[in-house]
Amino acid sequence: MSDRIMGGVGLLLAAFFIWQATLIQESFISDPVGPKIFPIIIGGLVGLSSLAIFLKPDDEPEWPDFSRLFEVGLTVAVMVAYAYALPSAGFVVSTAVAAGYLSWRLGTPPVKAAVAGAVIAIGIYVVFHLILGLSLARGPWGF
Amino acid sequence: MDTLSALADGFSIALTFQNLGLALIGCFLGTIIGALPGLGPSNGVAILIPLAFTLGLPATPALILLTSVYYGAMYGGRISSILLNIPGDEPALMTTLDGYPMARKGMAGEALALSGIASFVGAFFATWGLVFLAPQLVKVALLFGPAEYFALFALAFATLGGIASKNQAKAALAAGLGLGIAMIGVDGQTGVPRFTFGEVHLYDGIDFLVAIVGLFALSEVFIFLEHRGTTKATGDASGIKLGRLTPPLSMLKQTAPTMARSTVLGFIAGVLPGAGASLGSFISYSVEKRLVDKNNTFGTGDPRGVAAPEAGNNAAAGGALVPMLALGVPGSGTTAVLLAMLLALNITPGPLLFTNNPDVVWGLIAALFIGNVMLLVMNIPMVSLFVRVLLVPPRYLMPAVAMISFVGIYGISGSTFDLMVMVFFGLLGWILRKLDVPLVPIILGVLLGNQMEANMRRAMTISDGDWSALFASPLSIGLWLFAFFGFILPIVAGRFFRPKFPRTDSEADPD
Amino acid sequence: MKNFITRLAATAVAVVSLTAAAQAFDPGATECIAPANPGGGWDFTCRQVGKTLQDLKLVPGTMQVTNMAGGGGGVAYAEVINKRNDANNLIIAASSATSTRLAQGAYPGNTMDQVRWVASVGADYGIIAVAKDSAINTLPELMEMIKADPSSVSIAGGSAVGGWDHLKVLMAAKKAGIEDVRTIKYVAFDGGGEAVTQLLGGSVQAFTGDASEAKGFVDSGDIKVLAVLAPERLEGDFASFPTAKEQGIDVIGANWRGFYAPGGSSDEAYDYWVNAIGTVYDSAEWKDIMAQNGLAPLNLRGADFQAFVADSVASITDISKEIGLIH
Repeated sequence: MSDRIMGGVGLLLAAFFIWQATLIQESFISDPVGPKIFPIIIGGLVGLSSLAIFLKPDDEPEWPDFSRLFEVGLTVAVMVAYAYALPSAGFVVSTAVAAGYLSWRLGTPPVKAAVAGAVIAIGIYVVFHLILGLSLARGPWGF
Repeated sequence: MDTLSALADGFSIALTFQNLGLALIGCFLGTIIGALPGLGPSNGVAILIPLAFTLGLPATPALILLTSVYYGAMYGGRISSILLNIPGDEPALMTTLDGYPMARKGMAGEALALSGIASFVGAFFATWGLVFLAPQLVKVALLFGPAEYFALFALAFATLGGIASKNQAKAALAAGLGLGIAMIGVDGQTGVPRFTFGEVHLYDGIDFLVAIVGLFALSEVFIFLEHRGTTKATGDASGIKLGRLTPPLSMLKQTAPTMARSTVLGFIAGVLPGAGASLGSFISYSVEKRLVDKNNTFGTGDPRGVAAPEAGNNAAAGGALVPMLALGVPGSGTTAVLLAMLLALNITPGPLLFTNNPDVVWGLIAALFIGNVMLLVMNIPMVSLFVRVLLVPPRYLMPAVAMISFVGIYGISGSTFDLMVMVFFGLLGWILRKLDVPLVPIILGVLLGNQMEANMRRAMTISDGDWSALFASPLSIGLWLFAFFGFILPIVAGRFFRPKFPRTDSEADPD
Repeated sequence: MKNFITRLAATAVAVVSLTAAAQAFDPGATECIAPANPGGGWDFTCRQVGKTLQDLKLVPGTMQVTNMAGGGGGVAYAEVINKRNDANNLIIAASSATSTRLAQGAYPGNTMDQVRWVASVGADYGIIAVAKDSAINTLPELMEMIKADPSSVSIAGGSAVGGWDHLKVLMAAKKAGIEDVRTIKYVAFDGGGEAVTQLLGGSVQAFTGDASEAKGFVDSGDIKVLAVLAPERLEGDFASFPTAKEQGIDVIGANWRGFYAPGGSSDEAYDYWVNAIGTVYDSAEWKDIMAQNGLAPLNLRGADFQAFVADSVASITDISKEIGLIH
């Protein structure tokens, strides 16, 4: 079933891709092939392979139960929040929180996880910023 | 003999305490940069350019520092590929295919040491190639016009069928997805935006590093999260065997021909501007699998599958210096940065570089030899250090990997948008892995898609839209035939003649 | 650690200058965006000017060069307008290619008055060249071949279709009496270096680019320059090559090089940059760099430069209309 859904999604994606490709604005003077044809060929490739998957699906993979799916979803949300928090909260704080959360969800007791988060954040800060000189998000406290 | 005496002069320039110190620092930093997901050789070199300027280094020492970083990163990429199944940078992508299974089998130490030796062999002979063959090799690069490049990229995609999962349709879907992602952004030929939906961040396209880190590193985190509390997540660390720290002699013997062939292939791929190290490791792996994988052990932890891409990508790194020095055309992202560095130092690469600035060229080449030996000496004892990463429980290791991935991307681009794209790729990678869709073809598509299209369109412009121009020269015909008979036909024929055998034992090589 | 201390120091300085309302403008960490990959003309402009600024101690420390390729400079242009509009520490390399694309509306939604034009640092004249063993020896010969059979000559250049490298050929063709210039085959490569390589490899028959891009290959004798698109012969290495005008095709293709700054940058910052670039232009170091790289003089600053770019955009709009590129 999963493969059939993927095949279906792939077909829709291919159709969308080809439709978008036909909407590409041609520039005033172009080469003989133009900017549309190659994307359309790719759309065709995606469509054909999706069709093949739809018609000849593999065995069903083992999906996790609902609570684990929710867990993955929540982690994605934390990562998105982390990306947004970086510029305003600064690197060390937001990283410590995000890494601590991940460590906790992967099975570390909460207190240890918080320590792990802080150690990871400071370790990365030392290597990437102080040694390699990359500019990380500064935040209100400068780190 | 002129060449040898020039090289001796080069060594006399490079062998000072200061330069050796710089090479050591460069090799060390490069190895770390290569091993960290999200930082590869090209941004590693770019990061350290300010350091070279701050130290006020003259041309030769600056180049020695930066090329050591370059070679170091090529060595370092394999470490996270083997230990974590996360390529440290794009040329180390193929090393995950057999390196990680080897580590799972308790042969992490052997895999690391073997890949270190393969890297050394590839880089060492490629540097000799650079010394003796640079002028002739430039002529090889000139043989490749747009049609030939297009055939070369088509060949790369044809080889996918051989390496990818059991379901060819899924490999094709993955390649299509990658190519489609590559199409996002402003069209280099006509300057019109494509698939950008008015979003200015998409004008420059999607950086392949963002895709790699998302697909491999973040999806790995999700997999561990999914299996928390089961043996996969917790049982591993206690039961892990680090294995020997040096490869047995028999393994070296077994992989020696593989290293030799892969060095040659990788070097040639490196010499072609626009192909680069990733293509070098890719072609080396797939050709080697085609040639020697009689029992279908590639992909399950075959040492030859580790030696091939590592010899290939390090040879390509050396090869890529040929067009950069002799033509002033960068053959890869990293050489583009090195080229910029040369220009900033007021040295113009090009046909006259060897005559006008021999001290720079030969000093650089000598530095490559020194750096390479240094890296081998440094890497073999460090294997025991690296494998200890596996002893870190995943509940501490995976958060660190995830955060390093974020920093690698954010530190280069400073863009929240890139991070969002990366999280999206992480989720996509997790779903695709569940569905048994291979991830390597996606990256290949993202890496090569634009070049493939641009060369097709250039060939069409030159031929006035006559498609037969794609098959006009002997070289392009040769590449097409190789792709067809070497990779496409065996798959089709295998399907056709033995459709009823169960999958497990029908995959033996048809030759 | 060193970085931390510098940052601390920088913060302290910032606080002091805020309270004292100091007038002297401190650009802080300066940055130059080269809107192309390393190795091209914009990259050259950023790096050479950056280095000279540093050597003359006009900026503190090193000027960071950021390569932001894409859309013939459009990506960088949009980035500056949308995201870094009030950055005071930033200049962006520009050239005729920038004004060409602005004139043709190729930076969607953006116009030339959204940024502040700082100063020029010289001009790079266009050349049209063939491989050294080509049978073609003069520009009129090349044009005759195109006239007889447009499909027999492919011309490679480093800009996209309709870009500056392409436009130079079209202008020359128009002057040479070719009616429908759209039949001319132009092949777009990623930069002049790749285009020259394809000329040497024989995939294309001619090359259009700037004098500085081709210098290494001219010195080595690998390519033959048919015409320089300058009002009179250049000095130095290019002195032996005839201008297009001498050969009866009166076309000039001057690729000026210069900088713009974000539209929202402060007046102090703008004046600072106009002065800094002007000082670079006047320096002996810069004269040497110009001579080495085939750059011809073009000295415009501040308001003069702003007016010059406006003129240039207007005249390219006219040419593009006349040739039929835009309506």
